[in-house]
Amino acid sequence: MIDAQKTIVVTGIGVISPYGTGLSRLQAGMLAGQCRLAPATELYPGFQGTVARVSALPPLHDGDRYSRSDRLAMAAARDAVADFAGYSSDIRESGIVMASTVAGLTEIDPEISRGAAEWYRNGGLLRAATYPVSRIAASVGECLDIQGPSCAVSVACASGSTAMVLAANMLLDEAAPMVLAGGSDALCPFTLSGFNSLQALDAEACRPFDQSRKGLNLGEGAAVLVMETLDHARRRGAEILAVLRGWAMTNDAYHPTAPQKDGVGLATCIQRALLMAECSIEEVGYVNAHGTGTPLNDIAETHAYERAFLGRSRPIPVSSTKSYFGHCLGAAGAIEAAITIMAMRAGVLLPTLRLTDPIESPQVDWLRGEPRRQPLPVAMSVSAGFGGSNVALVFGEYRA
Amino acid sequence: MKTTLPMLTGIGSVTPYGPLAGLISAEPLEPHAPTDWTTTELRRAFLVEPFRAASIVPGLKTRRLDRLSAWAVVAASLALRDAGIDLKEVDRSRVAVFCATGFGCAELTGAFYQSAATYGWAGTDPITFPETLSNAPASHVALFHDLRGPNVTVGSKNFAAESALLQAASLMRHGQADLAIVLAGDTLTQAIYEWYETADLLSAACFSNEPVSSASGFIPSEGMVAMVLEASGRPEARAYAALGAGRWAAGGDARAGVRQLLDGDRPEFIFCAGNGAPCAPSPLTCSPREIVGGDTTIFPAQPVASGMGETGALLHLLLALSKHPGPGQALLLGTSAHGGYAALRLEIF
Repeated sequence: MIDAQKTIVVTGIGVISPYGTGLSRLQAGMLAGQCRLAPATELYPGFQGTVARVSALPPLHDGDRYSRSDRLAMAAARDAVADFAGYSSDIRESGIVMASTVAGLTEIDPEISRGAAEWYRNGGLLRAATYPVSRIAASVGECLDIQGPSCAVSVACASGSTAMVLAANMLLDEAAPMVLAGGSDALCPFTLSGFNSLQALDAEACRPFDQSRKGLNLGEGAAVLVMETLDHARRRGAEILAVLRGWAMTNDAYHPTAPQKDGVGLATCIQRALLMAECSIEEVGYVNAHGTGTPLNDIAETHAYERAFLGRSRPIPVSSTKSYFGHCLGAAGAIEAAITIMAMRAGVLLPTLRLTDPIESPQVDWLRGEPRRQPLPVAMSVSAGFGGSNVALVFGEYRA
Repeated sequence: MKTTLPMLTGIGSVTPYGPLAGLISAEPLEPHAPTDWTTTELRRAFLVEPFRAASIVPGLKTRRLDRLSAWAVVAASLALRDAGIDLKEVDRSRVAVFCATGFGCAELTGAFYQSAATYGWAGTDPITFPETLSNAPASHVALFHDLRGPNVTVGSKNFAAESALLQAASLMRHGQADLAIVLAGDTLTQAIYEWYETADLLSAACFSNEPVSSASGFIPSEGMVAMVLEASGRPEARAYAALGAGRWAAGGDARAGVRQLLDGDRPEFIFCAGNGAPCAPSPLTCSPREIVGGDTTIFPAQPVASGMGETGALLHLLLALSKHPGPGQALLLGTSAHGGYAALRLEIF
């Protein structure tokens, strides 16, 4: 018997991605196998690489107050609630948990280091005010006039899925009737330069889980998911897109940037999420992987799947959708949660693009080639990040 | 001390009072002028004096870390020491680290910009970059102590520390961790100081920690406070307090929200947390009597903690506990000049 007050569901999804605004555009583009990664050289002098960009951001009345990451977040949030029949007081009292790693770094340039006070006086004051990560959540609150608990998350590349975990806990605590949870990150020289300095970027389109993988590509975008209890969703007659059946967070405590080679931390995370979901390893039909395309991440992640799904009767289907539009950092976990739900609802397993020579693993069914159509009652989204954080989300279809 | 609520069993801090385990016995501090930074008027700050981290936490190497990361490891280690926890006896995969920060690793972020200004974006330092991430302090705590549970870094306009405390307690209530180290703090860099100054948020009248009626700004501050929360009582543990229900909101009617939380109860103590509040007394900074009535003992917000902005609440709580309020029900009440509130019920032992 389901406890409707303790069951967390997703009732709205807003996305802005290199495919445009809306989940339907994302879905159409990905199902058509369109890759949004493209060569770029103008992001800063000397940069030669491959990125995926959001080409058109909706204009804002007082845009100077907001960073590009803020604006992406606001666009996704508006999209998430666009289908709401009426602007209920529930939205006003909703919680917000928004993730970002870049936040307002998009608005700050190196000149600040030559004299911050002068840079502020010359127009930088408002731009610098967007620097705290909390601005992302506050911006979403301002654009939708939400006054409930507001929180921003910064757990590197696991931020977006961490936001969903915190939102689920807030709902269990009855801290808010609904929570808008997601992530947003924009491309900027700071992060491109940082990953480039670490030699983590592939100059060409990335090849997650391929033996020839060289690194990741950065993308940008945002996703916001409307989360609430099943009880609340039923009372307001909302369409239920998916049930968040289980979740878990762990840390490798291994290295500031490298994942644990044997994947133990991530495997533990997956096992805990499945335990919470009361779901066996046989029931999971698909894993949307973190799959950055870096040599270290992908092999560690493969080992994690081998451990977590050990004893499963058939290989676990896995793909990395970062191969379509890159790694959106703090937004990645939320966007990939949206893609996982989209896959469940469409009954389609999306392949990893450009995966021609996958890492050898008899326990993993690497999805490649054409999308695979099949019913998908349970699917999982996995994220990991610098600092060793791992997050696993288990989604199930809703049966009334 | 029978309770099922998360208990606060250890405190560590790196603040302008220095690196300390447990309560702070020192007298209130006077701010001092960061003379290299002042540009127009004599303004002051509460700053952490430099110290050698390895002398407090043997084996800790901080050369490549942002000060905030170093402080986080020191404060967490002191809090674990204060709680008397032997981590060898603990399932470390069930230990969470929950860190609140407003500005993250601002020093190394500044250093990264400096390297970009000097060498161009193509010549930045790969060692510095990962240490600029806001979750670096929490991850270094996990790395140093091999803590493999949830590791979360949050920000929240005005109420980051309160939200971290509430969400860490929530993790424990829902069985997602047995023990949590909650941290909250920020460093004050010259760039941040000058942002406050340019935005006219500092007050030249704020020369001391006494409220000044003419002041319209605040005294900026820095530091990191760590608190150990335990889900179930170890027999040998002594606790400062048990954490009860709480809530926070970005807007709305603070009085109604807090009254609803109290559900007719009247706490004996109210610990005010005025986050980034002016150093002048102001009804916006804390209005506890209007909320709970006249017979409650009120611990006013302290400038040294208010100056930390959204991460000041743990220091406010630490300073209030350091005054030994005695057993009873308490309310940590966070308010800000920008609206919203945070409230957390505590049972003080």
